[in-house]
This record gives sequence, C-alpha cells and structure tokens, in this order.
Amino acid sequence: MKKLVLVGMTAVVLTGCSDQEDEQVLNLYNWSEYMPQEVLDRFEEETGIEVVYTTYDSNEAMYARLKLLDDSSQYDLAVPSTYYVNKMRKEDLLMEIDHSQIEGFDRLDPELVNQSFDENNAYSVPYLWGTTGLAIDTDTVDPSAVNGWADLWDEQYEGQVMLTNDMREVFHVGLSVLGYSGNTRDPQEIEEAYEKLSELMPSVRTFNSDAPRMPYLEGETDIGMIWNGEAVMGKEDMPSLEYIYPEEGVIVWLDSFVIPKNAANPEAAHQFISFVLQPEISALISENIGYATPNLAARDMLPEEVADNRASYPTSEDMENAEFQEDVGDEAMQVYNRYWEQLKTGR
Amino acid sequence: MMKHRRRMFRGLRQPFRTGVLVLVWGWLLALVLVPNLLVIAASFLTRDPGTFISLPVTLENYRSLMDPLYLEVFLHSLYMASVTTLVCLLIGYPFAWALSRVGKERQLLLIFLLIVPFWTNSLVRTYALKLLMATNGLINNGLMALGVIDEPMRMLYTEGAVIVGLVYLLLPFMILPLYSVFDDLRQELLLASHDLGAGRFSTFIHVVVPLTLPGILAGVMLVLLPAMGLFFVPDILGGSRNLLVGNVIKNQFLDARDWPFGAAAAILLTLAMALLLFTHRLSQRRLGEGGDL
Repeated sequence: MKKLVLVGMTAVVLTGCSDQEDEQVLNLYNWSEYMPQEVLDRFEEETGIEVVYTTYDSNEAMYARLKLLDDSSQYDLAVPSTYYVNKMRKEDLLMEIDHSQIEGFDRLDPELVNQSFDENNAYSVPYLWGTTGLAIDTDTVDPSAVNGWADLWDEQYEGQVMLTNDMREVFHVGLSVLGYSGNTRDPQEIEEAYEKLSELMPSVRTFNSDAPRMPYLEGETDIGMIWNGEAVMGKEDMPSLEYIYPEEGVIVWLDSFVIPKNAANPEAAHQFISFVLQPEISALISENIGYATPNLAARDMLPEEVADNRASYPTSEDMENAEFQEDVGDEAMQVYNRYWEQLKTGR
Repeated sequence: MMKHRRRMFRGLRQPFRTGVLVLVWGWLLALVLVPNLLVIAASFLTRDPGTFISLPVTLENYRSLMDPLYLEVFLHSLYMASVTTLVCLLIGYPFAWALSRVGKERQLLLIFLLIVPFWTNSLVRTYALKLLMATNGLINNGLMALGVIDEPMRMLYTEGAVIVGLVYLLLPFMILPLYSVFDDLRQELLLASHDLGAGRFSTFIHVVVPLTLPGILAGVMLVLLPAMGLFFVPDILGGSRNLLVGNVIKNQFLDARDWPFGAAAAILLTLAMALLLFTHRLSQRRLGEGGDL
C-alpha cells in the first residue's frame, strides 16, 4: 500500500514539473464547425502552444459560460457576435486588446473595423463575417418562386420549413417581413412579429443551430433559413442546395475574437489572433468553411471559385436592404425571450 | 430506544461501518441537500442581468409559473409522459412476466441484455435513434428496398418520435420493478385461484394484478417523472419542438438566464414528484394492510 502511495506521489510530482517547463496551452472557445482543424495544427506546430478547443452553438450559451466561469480563467479566447461583444464589453468581462502585440490588423476591411459596438477595436478583432439567408432544395422547390422571407409562409411548404434555433435571427425574419427593423426594441413590433411567426409555426419542421445544413442534407426540410457558410459546405455534398438572398434584406453578422478578462494566457491569445490574420491562414479558413474573411489581403489570395461564390461573398446587389445585428439591451431581450418561449411551445 | 442507542454506539466502534455511514450521509448532504436548498433559495430571488440572482425576496417567479403558457407546457409534457408510461407498461408488463418464467440462466442473460444499453451514454443512443428514423435513414431505406413503401415516411421531428425516444430510454425502469414483483409471485396462489374455480381472466384481475400492483406503481413513478425532464429528447428527435418541462427549465438557465424562474419551475417538478411519492406511500400502506388480512 505504501509503495502504491509513493508511486502515485512521484507521478504527481513528475507531471507537476512537466506542466511548468513544458508547453503552454491556449484555451479557445469557438462556434461549432467554425475553424478548420488544419489551422489549429499549424499553429501548434509553429508556436509549440497546445490548443484546447471547445465549442458552443449560441451566443447565449457562450455568454452564460464565460460569465459563470469569470474568475476561473477557463478560456483565453472566444468568438462572440457583434452585439455580444458590445454587451460583454459593457459588463467588464473582456480584456483590452494590446494592439502592439497584434500583427496584420491593418489588413482588415476598413468597413468592418472601428464600429459602434467597439470603437477603435479596443476589445475585439474581427474573425469572420457572414449572412443568414434562405436555403432551398432545388430538386423539390422551384427557385423562381422563392424571392424573400415571406415565401416561407406559402402553404405548399407546410412541414418542410427549417428555422435556425436562434431567437434573434428568427425574430429578425418575422420583423423584416412586416417591414420593421430586425433590431427593434419596441414591444409592440416584437409582439406583431410573434403573431406573424406563429402563423408560420405549423409549417416549421425543426429548429437547428448546431449545423443548419444537416436537415437539408438528411432530406428532412426543403426550404428555410441557413447561414451562408453552412450553405457553401452543404452544397459540396448536395449540389441542389441553393442559397438565396431574401428581398426583404439578408441578416448580417460579424464574429470577433475577444479575450476574457481573466484569461490565463493572454500572450498566446494575441499570438493566435496574429496567426489567423496572416493572409494565407485567413484565406484557408474562408475557403474551408465558406464564410467571408474581413482580411482584404486574404481575399486576393482566394481561388476564383471561392472569391466569386456569391453565397460567401455577396455582391452589392445582394446586400441591398441587408441589416446588421445589433445589441438591443436586456429589457428588449426579456420581451424577445418571452415571445420566443411562447412561439416554441404554442401549437 | 435504549437498545437502538446502544447499537448506534457499537456502530461507532466499527470503523468500516462508520466510514460508510459518513460517506453516504456526507454525499447526500453535499450533493443532494445543499444543491436543492440553493435551488429553493434561488427560486425566491429576483432575476439580475449581471449576477444572475439578487435580492429582493419575491414570490413573483411562482406567480409567473401560473401563466397559462406554462400550464399548457406542463399539461402537454404530462400528456407525453403519460403516453410514454402507458406504452412502457404495456410492453414491460408481459415482458417482466415472461422474464420471471424462464429458467434462471436465461433470466440472467435477459437481465444482462436489458442493462447493457446503460453502458452507453443516453445522448449517444438518442442520436442513434435519429439515424434510424431520419427520412433517408435506415428504417425508410430498408422498407423502400423491400418495397413496403414507395415514399419515405417522415418520422423524425414529430411528437411520435419524441415518445419513441422516451419509451426507449425509460423502458428498463419499468421492467425491473415489475420483474421483482413477478419473481416473488408464488405459483401456488395462481393454482389455488384456479382450484377455486376462477378462470384465467378472473385470476389475472383478482390475483395477479393486485399482487403486482406495487411493482406497477414503482415502475410508473420511475418512468413518468423522468419523462418530463429529459430535455435532450425533444431537442434531438423533436426538432426543438414538442417541448417538455425539462426544456423550459434548461432554456431559463442557459438562454434566457432567468435563474430564479428556472429554479421555481424545477421546484414545481420536484413537488410533483414528492406528491406522487406520497400517494405511492399511502397506497402501499393500504395494500400492506390488505395483505395482513
């Protein structure tokens, strides 16, 4: 017995040592299917820093986790959408970015930096941007009959519609169909959007935000919402999956790297951001997962079929009426939450 | 009383027994009592966007539970859980009866097979069900290859799919208590009933059912309440529709971040469980008295 204890103790001492002098760790918390494994491997190879990669499927889940684990330095890097960057910055959950440690920031699209949600990018560095639009299976749905969000309400699609499992996006659709802003804080407008969406509910077959392309690939749904990158990835396996920019205006979002306030290894986090900002790496990411890179230098390096893919890189015509997601404040969120619950439980 | 106390002191002198007792009580205290007290406390507090919960103390959370919306969720959830329980009983009862009748060796094998699925995480098994039921999944492809159907059936993301998932996950919890009562059922009683002129049906109603009632009640309790809480089943098989009380609780904690309200909903579910346990206790006592006669 004593021997066993001794063996155990030496093991503890040994691992303790190796932890200290051996490799550093970067804890990266990211959306699911939002970073090619190759990028992580190359970063590890180049810097010797081990990446511990964990994923989430909604801003809400990421936020709750970071907020709860605020003091435990569990994560070094996360990738919230703009409106959550704003919220987390205001709640003092983020560490300021040390721009002297970031290389390649000047390669970013001037239209996507220094925005109102984070002036001078004091707390965030853009990673990828994308759109949420319509997807159809052209084998079963006539593409010429689908022009906008309002077409989802057509009775012929009953039981075939998919929506993302994202409260803000689904309400954005309801609000746009009514001609309101997707960022409204007006309870009256939110209620009207709820009424409108509840008319759609009998048609809705499923909500999905893990991998919104899957219900189309599995043959469960033929029409509905999708993220553009998912549409690009899905088309590789299913050529009949088509991405459509709704005429009411597509939903636009931007996800940015942020460093939680109590990050254990902020140096590694800065290093990783610089690593991703290299044109070659940004191009690799955009090509692999189908979302648009804000890195202008990377855009020039993209193969033609990627750069010209309207699903990933919309034309100015596609972006007509497009609306950026913004923070609506806690009070309006409560109203949204309540109607969201009502929407999903109502029959 | 004195005797009891002496026994307790003797217990203290036995280190193993004391150790086990301390471990069990410590476990219950730290991992059951304290967390539940925290949930109860949270249910009386106010939602706070910054710190999740804050003062003042309020009954507001319980009042909002009375909202017709949540009543509807509760009733629908209860309905799905009841159907699940009924199906489990209809499958489990004859199964447990048959199980108690086969030879000992076979019995062990069957019970083993019943328990094997527990070795795999229930979430993984639910995803497996999804693959089976998908529109281009195994069942549809198989039936179409055999020519039984021409077009794939849409099974996934329906109320039926959720109930199939719940039955699949909870069936063993119905079978095991039933098996234990059937195992104790003495054949002589059935023979006596026949000798006294009762037919098969009459024997079943007047002898078998009353004697297995404790097992039925235990099984119903083990299935009905968990069935209302398994939130991942509607999430995966129901397409985030056909929600259970468990989904509402999960959404309050994770998405809406209204912890006090989520806690109040959890307490309501616990109270429902307590009520059921209480009635079970009452009915058992009455059954016990009947047995003494």
